[in-house]
Amino acid sequence: MSPYNLHARFKAQYDANNQEFSISGVVRPQAIDELGPSLALLRDAIGRVRGVLYVNVRRLAQMNNAAFYAFSRIIIDACRARPDLKFVVITSSVVGWTSRKFGRLSGIEPNITVEEYDSEFYPGQGFLEEGGFVPILRTQTKMTWRHERAILPRHGMRPGIVMADICCGIGDFAVLVQKEFQPSRIVALDHSISSLDYARRVMREFDIRGIEYTYGDASEMLLDEEQFDLVTCRHSLQIFNRPELILKELYRICKPGGRVYITNEKNSHCLGEPRAESIRWTYNEVAKLFAHFEMDVELGPKSRRYLIEAGFDDIRVETFTVTNLDGDVQDFADVIVAWADVYAGEMATKRGDGAEFVARFRQGFQDHIFAALHPKGYAGWPIWVASGRRPQ
Amino acid sequence: MGSVHDPVGEPTFEPMIQIDMEIKTFVSAWKHCDYVSTYIARMISQNRSDSVRHSNLFSSAFNELLEVAFRTRHADGELACRVSRYGATDRIELTFPCMPEERQFYEEAVLQVVGFEAKERYLNSVSGDLAPSREVVLLELAVDYNAALRVEEADGDAITLVVDLPLEGLQH
Ligand SMILES: C[S@@+](CC[C@H](N)C(=O)[O-])C[C@H]1O[C@@H](n2cnc3c(N)ncnc32)[C@H](O)[C@@H]1O
Repeated sequence: MSPYNLHARFKAQYDANNQEFSISGVVRPQAIDELGPSLALLRDAIGRVRGVLYVNVRRLAQMNNAAFYAFSRIIIDACRARPDLKFVVITSSVVGWTSRKFGRLSGIEPNITVEEYDSEFYPGQGFLEEGGFVPILRTQTKMTWRHERAILPRHGMRPGIVMADICCGIGDFAVLVQKEFQPSRIVALDHSISSLDYARRVMREFDIRGIEYTYGDASEMLLDEEQFDLVTCRHSLQIFNRPELILKELYRICKPGGRVYITNEKNSHCLGEPRAESIRWTYNEVAKLFAHFEMDVELGPKSRRYLIEAGFDDIRVETFTVTNLDGDVQDFADVIVAWADVYAGEMATKRGDGAEFVARFRQGFQDHIFAALHPKGYAGWPIWVASGRRPQ
Repeated sequence: MGSVHDPVGEPTFEPMIQIDMEIKTFVSAWKHCDYVSTYIARMISQNRSDSVRHSNLFSSAFNELLEVAFRTRHADGELACRVSRYGATDRIELTFPCMPEERQFYEEAVLQVVGFEAKERYLNSVSGDLAPSREVVLLELAVDYNAALRVEEADGDAITLVVDLPLEGLQH
């Protein structure tokens, strides 16, 4: 457990462009004067805005009643003094008490509304979370694990470490790591309640210990700084429109000298023989389709740059290709069927693609499957692995 | 949890952790409330289904109780924090020095919390008062954390606030 942080533990800010006052961190004053500057900032903000003032408490980890009263008082008084003004308080579903506590304010003044910021953390959340993606993630992890189990020790994995798997999905990777490497503790975080439920069920059924699943938002986690020897984040940076925000959080929770390990794809490099052309065309289109929804499934080779820019050193990058020769070829085919379902199905429809495009788009996936199952064929799905060390 | 019921029908809470300190030491620095609540919350949340969220909620509730104890005007005696568990409920027992007239205050406050209008009273306090009273702090635990509270006499001039927090059920 990380040592207790003694430094200033909260921050209040006002963003005039968005008319947004935000307060974050741990706010537990003994006396209200300790909040003087922050309360003044809020009053000042109220004096400047027109229409709506957003009060963002999404990153507020703790606030005692003394502070809650002080801030509420100002907001409630402002409602009474300026009926033209509305307040929208934005809480987070991740911090359990905020919605309850701040939610009460709307019962006091009708001009205060409280919204729980929750869905749409990243542009494609709907497709990947609600869609039939769970079984695919399972099979994907099984296929990548054959490679990663040999790769991980080169990136800081070893027995006894404390690790976190951020965006853990249904938890398969955490379970495999637990069995193979026996870290002393694994915290596994995701923002999908259904995936976590699934992960917990697996843990109970198979009597697995040492994994703590937690509901959270990777871009603002409740986890303390400098806690983990290894932080993994697999196949996920590529689905955020601002991966650097996630990396910043991964860096924050990593111990100095510890490592952050990320895996990503470059979808346009999926390949196969025979029918290489059709396959190549389709996966190029996959990359464009994701880009349309602000996701970068071409991120793999950019990992090095992202890690450097996030402040890591001793960066290591390698690639591996999952192929039809690795293990069960049917697994490979199943994954492609699932990709085709979501990409050429829901996603293409949502973008408004015409029938002709969709037919050709689907054909490439079918050809990829054809190559995988062909007795002389070869089919591949390349993955980029990268890790960086947080400087001491 | 394999707890059994004792003859009176009250389930047996399994002890989890206990911290004792001189009240003098405790009240020497405000940040002790934050330390103790954060530390204990982490310790007891490890085997909850969502340890991080549980720890955040528990610390939030527990800190308020510690702040109440902090504001006690006594310079002598002991502060004891005990946490025990029965299934989804965590029980905090906070023992601190308290004069008889103050004890009555806590007893009345706890009775109020049970009342039907707890929520309404809590709302009124937020819209009306400048700072939360101790009574309101207890009220809030009931309203926002579904806590059940009671007061027990302790040895010497001390009381024990017993707060049952069903936080596991409060989660998603
Ligand atoms: C493509 S999946 C990868 C899952 C897993 N790492 C794997 O390799 O199978 C992306 C995961 O990120 C999760 N996710 C999306 N937005 C998130 C956020 N803001 N915070 C935490 N997790 C998030 C999704 O719920 C999903 O489980």
